[in-house]
Amino acid sequence: MGSRGHSVVTLAVAAALALGGCGQGGTGKRAVVFWQFSPLTAIQPILDRFHREHPDIEVQVEQLTWQSGREKMVAAIAAGRPPDLAELGSTFIPGLVADSTLIDLTDSIPDLKPLLRGWSAAEYRGRAYAIPWMLGTRAMYVNTDLLRRAGLSPEHPPLTWAEFANAVERIDALGGGVKGFGMNSGEREVLFKKFMPFAWGNGGDILDSTLTRSVVSSPQNIEALRYYLTLKPHSLLDRQEMLDEAFTRGRVGFAISGPWMLRKLPTSAPELHFVVTLMPRPTARNGTPASFAGAEALGIFRGSKEKAAALTLARFLVKEQNAMPLYVATGNAFPAAAMAEQDTYFVSHPRDKVFVEQLRTAVAPPVHPKWVEIEEILNAELEEAIYGKKSPEEALRSADARIGALLAARP
Amino acid sequence: MKVQSIAGLLPWSFFFAVFGLLPLLAALALSFYDMNPLRPDLTHWIGAGNYTRAVQSPAFWHALRTTAIFVVGTLPMTLTLAYLVAALLGRLRRGEALFRAAIFFPATLSMVVIALVFKSLYAEQGLLNGWLEAAGLPPVHWLQDPRLALPSIMLMDVWSSVGYYAILILAARKTLPIEQLEAARLEGMRAREIERRIVLPHVRPVILFVILLNTIRSFQIFIEVFVLTRGGPLESTLTLVYHLYERAFYHFEMGYACALAYILLFIVGLILFAQRRLGARPA
Repeated sequence: MGSRGHSVVTLAVAAALALGGCGQGGTGKRAVVFWQFSPLTAIQPILDRFHREHPDIEVQVEQLTWQSGREKMVAAIAAGRPPDLAELGSTFIPGLVADSTLIDLTDSIPDLKPLLRGWSAAEYRGRAYAIPWMLGTRAMYVNTDLLRRAGLSPEHPPLTWAEFANAVERIDALGGGVKGFGMNSGEREVLFKKFMPFAWGNGGDILDSTLTRSVVSSPQNIEALRYYLTLKPHSLLDRQEMLDEAFTRGRVGFAISGPWMLRKLPTSAPELHFVVTLMPRPTARNGTPASFAGAEALGIFRGSKEKAAALTLARFLVKEQNAMPLYVATGNAFPAAAMAEQDTYFVSHPRDKVFVEQLRTAVAPPVHPKWVEIEEILNAELEEAIYGKKSPEEALRSADARIGALLAARP
Repeated sequence: MKVQSIAGLLPWSFFFAVFGLLPLLAALALSFYDMNPLRPDLTHWIGAGNYTRAVQSPAFWHALRTTAIFVVGTLPMTLTLAYLVAALLGRLRRGEALFRAAIFFPATLSMVVIALVFKSLYAEQGLLNGWLEAAGLPPVHWLQDPRLALPSIMLMDVWSSVGYYAILILAARKTLPIEQLEAARLEGMRAREIERRIVLPHVRPVILFVILLNTIRSFQIFIEVFVLTRGGPLESTLTLVYHLYERAFYHFEMGYACALAYILLFIVGLILFAQRRLGARPA
């Protein structure tokens, strides 16, 4: 890039730089700037422990919000002043990998490989560009009162597609404003996360194992979308937070949601009787109860001046004994540390345990340089199918053709 | 005195230069570059490439059309309601202060707060549908129906801005000399005639200002879309600013997003110029 380009970029980020100083500590310690999404009250006790173990490193932690964290990170990278270490959502990682913004950690962390889960969200072509820290997934919330009213056994919530569709229909038939299932709509960006679990469970996928070919219009995916749309007439169509609220108010029988609801429901709906189950699978013998796997991974930016210290911090954070308190404090995502599954917390919290089990069959979207575009196409075509503008076959074939053309195009 | 005046302007000038002028010029320059904020080292000059890409992009024209519908749909409604509310407030004998405060209240709220409240109101099982259900009417899919999502946002926008504009018009009405109105009445002019021939010409500059302000604000619609619909469903609420936000922060096409911003600036400038020319005509 010419000097003119440099000055333009410098100008464009001047305002951000003016306020967002992230300098070195003046104590002679190595200062690691760490951007993450958990409340400071949750992360600070863990960092205090880190400071005691590593008195030579000072962590300057900052909390990002899910609404604007991505923009802030992009602005910082553009300004050439990224944080040293950052918590990255799995759908953000492909773009950063594609643009060589993150450093390749593969050779620095071979020992962590067997200790952590969720590597598929942090690796591209066998190389690790981030370290899985916390893993998120969604499971099925079931209103057992509505099951009972619909003449179904609350002790045996549906496990298969057929049982699930039957229960959704029967709860919808109760009337009085009650709907069988909370189906996401009106928020295009989450649609693939809600539909793909059915497709993954049915053996379908988005790209083939080499990540070079679209398999979106596979018979398994088409069958899954056909099935998913049979639920629509008996469903409440709304945005995720409204579906969560409808479940809280006992207005929907089933809702796919994350563990954050477990913390809310006892206080916001103490009268609500519910269980959490794995996602339904195609049949008792075939397929898997798949779900969407989202990973919060720790990445070190190419522009970091304290890469070694940042790696030390990342290694500390992903340990089971340090990640588990974060889950207990926030209830959003589970430690990627495989050992966390054995934690006694899950013995006394069986509903949380369901999410841990769900993680075993949860699938992460592929880390691909063109993932943002692939995701956009998939969501747009799924929206067309949900709104009845296209049949399941038309929507998925159109998505397949568009993704195929995208993959064939030069980067 | 002159030195003092200049010194007084310095703080404002500094902040305007750093946070207003500089980013504005930088964005103009960036609009001629291919710039990925994640790879600033690969930034390169492409001339008018971003602009030609925009005019060839169906998404751009769709977003522009949606924005234009929003502007054309909200402006007359907001203006008419603001004028009527101001007229009603002007005639109140008692409790004017209370009504004035109530009407102005939405203007004191952040648009994010308003949008969050309306999100709950417009929810499929929200308050509005609860009322409809209680009245035995079928629910309305306010934000879920692609035909209704944009009008629902427009409705919210009108509600949130009418009060502010009404107070501006009311302030202009209050500057009308009472003697002038009394003289008109003595001459036998009817209320409607007084409104049309005396009040309206008097508040005309403020109305033009309101039109100007509302046009700029409507073209910039973003928060409402960001909070309520994110451009959906089926891109029915994809406005120009939301489109450029997506290009900048999801597709990392900062140069292209800057070009879109400058096209928007040019369109708004053109419309405001036309409005000023029309407004300059004698009443």
